[in-house]
Amino acid sequence: MRILRMLTVATGLALAATTALSQTNVPGVPRNETIILENPEGTIKNPGWFNIWTINAGGQYTGLHQLALDTLWYIDPERGLDGVWENSLAAEKPIYNADFTEMTVKLRPGIYWSDGVEFTADDLIYTVETQIKNPGMRWSALLGLNVESVSSPEPWTVRFKLKKPNSRFHSLFTVRFNAIWMMPKHVFEKAADPQRFDFNPPVSLGAYKLHSFDPDGKWYIWQKRDDWQRTTLGRYGEPGPKYAAYIDPGPPDKRVIAQLNHNLDVVHDIAPEGMFTLTKQSPSLKTWFPNFPFAHPDPTLPSVIFNMQNPAFQNKDVRWALALLIDIKAVSMASYRGAATLSPIGIPPTGTHPDDYHIPLQEWLASYEIDTGKSKVKPYDPNIGNQIADMLRPTMKEQIPTDPAEIRKAFGYGWWKPNPQAATELLEKAGYTKRGNAWYTPDGKPFSIKLMVEGDSRPILTRAGTMIVQQWRQFGIDAKTEVAQGTTMLDRRIAGDFETLISWSVETYGGHPDLSFFLDSWHSQFVAAPGKTQSPRNWQRWSNPDLDKIIEEVRRISFDDKRTVELGRDYAKLIVREMPIIPLMAYNVFTAMDETYWTGYPTAENPYANPVPNWGNSRSMMVRLKPKQQ
Amino acid sequence: MKAYLAYLSKRLVQFAVVVFVGINITYLVTHMTPINPVEQSISAATSYGATSPEAIEMMRQSLRQLYGLEGTPWEQYVSFWKRVLVGDFGPSLSAFPTPVSQLILRALPWTVGLLLVSTLLTWFLGNLLGGLAGYYRNSRILRAFGVLSMGLHPIPYYVVAFVLLIIFGFLWPVLPISGGATMASDRSNTLAFALDVTVHSILPVLSLMAVGIGGWFMGMRSLVSNIVTEDYVVYAELAGVKRSKIMRSYVMRNALGPQVTGLALQLGAIFNGAIITEQVFGYPGVGSLLISAVHSGDYSLVLGITTVSIVAVSAAVLLIDLLYPLIDPRVEAR
Repeated sequence: MRILRMLTVATGLALAATTALSQTNVPGVPRNETIILENPEGTIKNPGWFNIWTINAGGQYTGLHQLALDTLWYIDPERGLDGVWENSLAAEKPIYNADFTEMTVKLRPGIYWSDGVEFTADDLIYTVETQIKNPGMRWSALLGLNVESVSSPEPWTVRFKLKKPNSRFHSLFTVRFNAIWMMPKHVFEKAADPQRFDFNPPVSLGAYKLHSFDPDGKWYIWQKRDDWQRTTLGRYGEPGPKYAAYIDPGPPDKRVIAQLNHNLDVVHDIAPEGMFTLTKQSPSLKTWFPNFPFAHPDPTLPSVIFNMQNPAFQNKDVRWALALLIDIKAVSMASYRGAATLSPIGIPPTGTHPDDYHIPLQEWLASYEIDTGKSKVKPYDPNIGNQIADMLRPTMKEQIPTDPAEIRKAFGYGWWKPNPQAATELLEKAGYTKRGNAWYTPDGKPFSIKLMVEGDSRPILTRAGTMIVQQWRQFGIDAKTEVAQGTTMLDRRIAGDFETLISWSVETYGGHPDLSFFLDSWHSQFVAAPGKTQSPRNWQRWSNPDLDKIIEEVRRISFDDKRTVELGRDYAKLIVREMPIIPLMAYNVFTAMDETYWTGYPTAENPYANPVPNWGNSRSMMVRLKPKQQ
Repeated sequence: MKAYLAYLSKRLVQFAVVVFVGINITYLVTHMTPINPVEQSISAATSYGATSPEAIEMMRQSLRQLYGLEGTPWEQYVSFWKRVLVGDFGPSLSAFPTPVSQLILRALPWTVGLLLVSTLLTWFLGNLLGGLAGYYRNSRILRAFGVLSMGLHPIPYYVVAFVLLIIFGFLWPVLPISGGATMASDRSNTLAFALDVTVHSILPVLSLMAVGIGGWFMGMRSLVSNIVTEDYVVYAELAGVKRSKIMRSYVMRNALGPQVTGLALQLGAIFNGAIITEQVFGYPGVGSLLISAVHSGDYSLVLGITTVSIVAVSAAVLLIDLLYPLIDPRVEAR
């Protein structure tokens, strides 16, 4: 019995003694000078590896590509510090010759590596040539395919001669999420093998340099450079935080706890429920939208993707019928608990896209008509956002916007009305029949559909898929979800081993109307034969002559040509007509920011940067953040 | 002695066969899964960046060469065994080119520390309390403990972990909820670092102990309940021997045999890691490493971890088998 008493006392003493130790205090790194951000990569397996130019080695979002690396240009998915386009190491925009076989870059002088060596054209040339010489490095293949030669005809100028015309060659050096980062020639040329060189400690070109990192890979701390003025971010002013820590805070629940305890300033992403908990319990919370749906919409577009090489989905009437069976309000509630920004077209409703695409296409969408064979219907409903807002208002009350413009921004610019009657007519037109409560294909087999979802690894889209399947089943289609977790999903997606899946094959710049980022890979020249591996991103394996024409014209014109928007709208209309994917909504990221220590985060009201902390362009936040406590 | 040597050689052969078969099964399973490490790497490299289908094809070829995945399946298999026999599991495919052995060696001390402490404490307390409960059957405290441990035992340990997390991480935030040590702790200050690591291990250890203790408790209690009815115990009581001495010398010692065997097996299994606990508490051990390897299709790393685990568990069983004939006269070396 004595032992039990002793144990009880010892446990109590131990707990009391550890109270102080539970705080996140870093010796020598004052909390009020440090911003702590989530690294969604989690724990880094080989934490001492900073050579980002090797494939899939070491951490990327540890602050390395946000704070320490730099390249020629940036595009912000939002409005940017000084416009969406940022000349970073380049002094001006890329200069192409008439047939896009040469690109000239004027470099910005006066930029220094953290070890005091000046960044020059030699670094850019070394970066390109080293990767071409070492196949298997991260950008070796892209550079090898495109670059005939690279030279510096005069100081601070670099000229690329290309193997074939490419009007988007500069996008390889343009950060949307990341890009080809510059290598320090003076460091790498001393390494025996650039592919097996760990680059530890890294020499920084950004406004921060490495302070310390966890040998077990859970945290990285970066310190503001004394010479931050000699970096490309320096022209926007002094970065606020003296230190930036990128940490692995653990699973979603722990992220919420950590932020409630003010030990995590920026959460990369949590489930809607976690965000709702924070909005109720954390007075210091800052979110992208001040009210519902709170989240930051990524410039990606989760959709129902049809495998167009499957005979069941080759008739567009069938695809449209399946779209008209979806009640998007229920899908929005099931997936995001209403916090979804919907899109009826193949472009996410984020960044500047509403102005470039969604708003200008409203009239066309409203008048768009489907011929079911028995009737003509106008499927578009521009008021879906209002309906969702009305559904949410009784529970979320004043958090739901009332201004129609705000509602459209938050919930999207409409979607398709559920129309089972039109779906019936379209299926009948395609030769399908209904016997009893079940639908049969033209060759007399039960009409069955498997919708692949990712399960726990992407719960929001899994919930959306489950709801869609339920709606199809209620109509008499033998629909089922099949779960393919994480890596299995990736493997099956590239192999075309699915009937339909919830994923995205549309990714855009967000802040710039050019759609070439994903659209070029949709050209029919890249569609793999059934059973063969499909290269990104045309998971639907869709080929269409009209689409090819659009893509070929995009390739022939400049990035900033006004025609890019017109071509983008042509593409959007084609997607509506053909429906090779059923676009659902933006991928809303519940990024939660805590204002206990820092203020000035980007928001929908002041969208100067993408707040999602693993994006390379999130570095812009640093110069706008101000300390809350001195 | 001759009989023992024959027994020893037979058991060593069995050990080698078990290890060989175990590693082969793991090799087959990992290589038969649809996960393709090259595609995983490509996906990771291109998921956010602009790329072109032609470049992807070039990347695919380069990576196959770089990862040593070229050649026939038989050539790959032979090459695998050549490397394993010298303790080389090759480079990790998801943390290329860091050697798998380096990743395992970094994670192993955390897991061994966590599980060694929790296993020994759980075993010690479970057996002590179970022994006491079996002998002092009228004690209210021990009966209450029996009810508590029987109630806790069937609960999945991650549920207990989560409850502990909420209590000590949020409601009464006195303990760290993530990681093996405080951010930027000074590892050269050995004593302070050891204290820091100990504090970080309290919640994971408690979650493992809370449910593990019940198993040992119930096992020991039933063993002791049987022993106390044996003639020699009754005789000792009638002879007026002190109850504490009977408990220590006649009851507990005789009941410990099977519990020691169980302990040895659990110690061998330490190298498997405590996957869920490590995940919940963000502990940098082998369990977290294994999960990460599975998710990224890094079968070099999966093979490395499972090989260490197979060897450790088989060695623990071998050790028990070799020791038993030496320490227990009732067991014959055959």
